[in-house]
Amino acid sequence: MGVVRYSHDETGSTAVRYREGTGLSERKEEQGAVCSPLKERVPIIQVKNLYKIYKVGETKVYALGGVDFTMYRGEFCAIVGPSGSGKSTLLNMLAGLEKPSRGEIVIDKIHIEKMKENELVAFRRARVGFIFQSYNLLKTLNAVENVALPLSFRGMPRRKRNEIARKYLKLVGLEKQMNHMANAMSGGQQQRVGIARALAVNPRIIFADEPTGNLDSKTTMEILKLMRRIVREQNQTLVMVTHDNHLASYADRQFHIVDGKIFKIEECRHDEEEEIK
Amino acid sequence: MRFLDLLTMSVNNLRRRKLRTALTVLGVIIGVASVVIMVSLGIGLNQLMLEMYSSYGDMTTVTIYSGSRFDSGSSDSDPMYLTDDVVEQFKRLDHVRGVSPMLSVYVMLKQGLYETTTEITGVSQEYLENIPLGQGEIPQRGDPMKLIYGNCVIQWFRNSKTGDGYWDTQELPAVDFMNKPMFVIFDMDAYYQSQGGGESGVKPPKKYMIEAAGVVEGSVDDYNNYAYSVYTEIEGLKAQLKQIFKKRPIPNQPTNKKGKPYPYFIYNSAVVFVDDMENVTEVQKAITDMGYQANSQMEWIEQSQQTYDMIQLVLGGIGAISLFVAAIGIANTMMMSIYERTKEIGVIKVLGCDMANIRNMFLMESGFIGFMGGVIGLAISFAVSYAMNNFLGLGQAMMGIEGDISRIPLWLAGSAVVFAIFVGMAAGFFPSLRAMKLSPLAAIRNE
Repeated sequence: MGVVRYSHDETGSTAVRYREGTGLSERKEEQGAVCSPLKERVPIIQVKNLYKIYKVGETKVYALGGVDFTMYRGEFCAIVGPSGSGKSTLLNMLAGLEKPSRGEIVIDKIHIEKMKENELVAFRRARVGFIFQSYNLLKTLNAVENVALPLSFRGMPRRKRNEIARKYLKLVGLEKQMNHMANAMSGGQQQRVGIARALAVNPRIIFADEPTGNLDSKTTMEILKLMRRIVREQNQTLVMVTHDNHLASYADRQFHIVDGKIFKIEECRHDEEEEIK
Repeated sequence: MRFLDLLTMSVNNLRRRKLRTALTVLGVIIGVASVVIMVSLGIGLNQLMLEMYSSYGDMTTVTIYSGSRFDSGSSDSDPMYLTDDVVEQFKRLDHVRGVSPMLSVYVMLKQGLYETTTEITGVSQEYLENIPLGQGEIPQRGDPMKLIYGNCVIQWFRNSKTGDGYWDTQELPAVDFMNKPMFVIFDMDAYYQSQGGGESGVKPPKKYMIEAAGVVEGSVDDYNNYAYSVYTEIEGLKAQLKQIFKKRPIPNQPTNKKGKPYPYFIYNSAVVFVDDMENVTEVQKAITDMGYQANSQMEWIEQSQQTYDMIQLVLGGIGAISLFVAAIGIANTMMMSIYERTKEIGVIKVLGCDMANIRNMFLMESGFIGFMGGVIGLAISFAVSYAMNNFLGLGQAMMGIEGDISRIPLWLAGSAVVFAIFVGMAAGFFPSLRAMKLSPLAAIRNE
């Protein structure tokens, strides 16, 4: 695999990122910032005192009532909570799909809470991958075109982006289904395409909203392990929302959220790497 | 996002709903075809009218008559004669390309048994050069006097023995302008006096053999502006007349108060050539202001043109209504399409598709509907126009002359397609803004 280089600069940051192979080795970023030894934790998402208040008639409903946390580079985080706890609202705000009522969200050193909508779109295009519960592939496109779609938003020429798309489809184990139309595939296959689509843009962060919600338990495990393996290999941050404690236990850290507040943060070390592979 | 990718996405979306796209396009086809056909009828009528007038005579000429030619003496001032000086004045007017004085003499033409009395009109070389000839050639400047016959002149000749002419026998007289000599009697007074029984003691006037230079194009029955006249170059005619009449007064030339002829020629009329149709009215007015009586085809054309502009406006308006209805159809289709694709639009927004790109994608879709409707509508217009021109004979029925009633010039064809695209995009504008503003959250919701 060759050197993939991109220098899309939509958010105004001067970062130019090189990637070598599927590599763990990642040279980076701002001049002067030296990436020091292996396990140093670089914050990538910082949330401070975050509120989201909906007005229902006269009464105020606190979807989020003051949330603070930090997520680090290369981490697999799960946001866990029962339905109505505000976990999806939190994810939406981290991805810039909803505006917070109060508080700060700093992603990759950029404040996103005050951005305008088109700035947020550019921000997502440059830094974020998204995996949906209902896959949300475009029905008119085949697997390769679906994966290449976000790259086309960056203005990448067709041949180059299809090449990248094929590479990621191979990575998620869909060599044989590359030219299948989206709705001619099983749920598990569609979600694999969805993952490949999120990965293809080589994002810093991948958000996944109940990615296995529509899958059976066997496929769920496969998908989950696949996601974990890939983000590990590529040193990306994965933020997954789920209501299932068992699924959340696959994450490095679990953020339990109840009634719009962080209830507890659980850390679990996964040493049994064999199981993952 | 690249333009080509955007276009591909738009076209793919249209292909997804073939029937609906086809129905919307059909609306535009009808709209465009009705506008184009209506406007083409307006253009056709207008041009037919112009062709009709131009068959009556050149449209860029102004004819000037010397109105007071025969009532000299009734006023003290000098009558407004058309002389060489006046012709020079006309030449100096703006937009005037040239001026041809016209001098008519009444003569008798004789060839063998056949003869006729007619007028020979002397005109400038320039005027001669505008006459389309069927046979022969325009005489060169400086040639001796030669005649150009109208293609219908032959009808006038009568057999001098029997007195029968073309109108009596329906047979063309055996007159050959080009190959047999033609004799011309200029001094008609003397001719009539000599005919009066031979007692008057007047010698029959001298006959002059004058060569023909050519015959105007067209058959004996084709009417045109030159069909019934005999033309010659004016300087040659003047020289000839001076030579024939010497000191005697030339017939038809006015005399001064003492009954003496003027030492110069006074023309019957003059024709002013104007550089462009649009300036004819201006030149005509300038000449009228100088005190001369002037006529041109433009007076009539302008009136008719106003009528036809009106007709064109009404016809175009009728067509525009159906195009407007088609535009509403496009807007409706686009709105429906956006409702259906709310989720999809949300997804591509989450994936980082620029808002302007989303708007442009929908604009291109509606523009593409307009484009297809425009092209197909135009093709249908050409077909209908062809049918009207070739199978219905409407031109003959409505204007009385041959010609195409429906004409689609290139500018109309081009602007029809461009306009259809524009209408499509305009109709899709507000729907596309709506699509652009859709919330990306729609993608997250799970139905």
